[in-house]
Amino acid sequence: MTILKKVKENLFLAIVTLAYIIMFIANPAMGIESVKNSGYYIKEMLMIMPVIFVLTALLDMWVPKEKIMRYLGKDAGAKGIFLSFVVGSISAGPIYAAFPMCVMLHKKGASIRNIVIILSSWAVIKVPMLLNEAKFLGPKFMAIRWVLTVLAIIIFSWISAKIIKDEDLPGEVMVKPGLHINRNACMGCTLCAKNYPVLFEMKGKKAAVKEYNKELLDFENLQSAIRACPLHAIEYSEE
Amino acid sequence: MDIFTLAIWVGTLVFLGVSFAKDKVKTKQALKMAFGMGKGMLASILSIIFAIGLILTILPPAEIAAFVSNQSVLLATVVAALFGTITLVPAFIAFPLVGTLVGAGVSVVPAVAFLTTLTMVGVVTFPLEKKEFGVKFTAVRNSLSFLFAIVIALVMGVII
Repeated sequence: MTILKKVKENLFLAIVTLAYIIMFIANPAMGIESVKNSGYYIKEMLMIMPVIFVLTALLDMWVPKEKIMRYLGKDAGAKGIFLSFVVGSISAGPIYAAFPMCVMLHKKGASIRNIVIILSSWAVIKVPMLLNEAKFLGPKFMAIRWVLTVLAIIIFSWISAKIIKDEDLPGEVMVKPGLHINRNACMGCTLCAKNYPVLFEMKGKKAAVKEYNKELLDFENLQSAIRACPLHAIEYSEE
Repeated sequence: MDIFTLAIWVGTLVFLGVSFAKDKVKTKQALKMAFGMGKGMLASILSIIFAIGLILTILPPAEIAAFVSNQSVLLATVVAALFGTITLVPAFIAFPLVGTLVGAGVSVVPAVAFLTTLTMVGVVTFPLEKKEFGVKFTAVRNSLSFLFAIVIALVMGVII
């Protein structure tokens, strides 16, 4: 990999580094102050980040999402709304990781309203994040914001479903046969490459499918790699 | 360590213990997943933190607070919401940051608007969302989220 490409991939990091260099030349005292300010956030992050990631992964692993997802159709009513909140609140990953999953749910019959609820709760009301919010802004602040957000989501998901019809979503995309990775969803956790190195590799910061021989596919292993992907980015369909 | 951090740690460790007793393989997988997610995000998180450190040195929280309190609440809220829309800051850095700003005297109303749009509305993720759901869905969801972020913020200002 050329240096230029590396800089391009970490553009933000490069800009920040450059800003610090300029700062230290122009005003060393302020430079030191900046590092000190950053230190506070790094300390806070190190105290909370490992445990949040572990909690998120555990929730993602143990809550039976497949079972829940069967009850998200148009006739599901209050139960569907409740379960959509549950799916969004316990899932791992940033909001864009939810996009492919929600499209799949819609194809399987989930209503527009429930999809909007999943996306929105995925974004704002994650359980580990609520604890983090209570820590820095107080439990009262967190609780009030949580109640208001849930109410707001209930209201605007209803409005969305009035405006958007099922036909407005892109139609059935032809599923390409074989094995694919949704590189938009992948966040480079390397689990697939570790679990099944014959089939997956890391290209740049994201996973990619290697050349493979269909005859030699070990399906059990493949299924476990598909299930293990935190962002459900691996897709396989028979030819 | 404060009570909340402690509570998360204890709760997670108990959860981890129960999980391990029930299914070793699954638990190891979860830990690997957690480690992978952390490693994947570490570089971008660190650069965001150092950027925040730099910005807070040039613009100390007290000055930001003084500046914001000179504006009308509605204007400050809309600007904060817009700011949340265009930036991508992970939530667990956003909370201590907003905590610092509110502690320095920034009103909670713009702070809440920023927190909500930060995660729910995305200019950066708009193209991705459009590709998967179409223009209409994406436009409706994002604009309603933006609108309600401001409503939530204003209502919170009244309650707190």
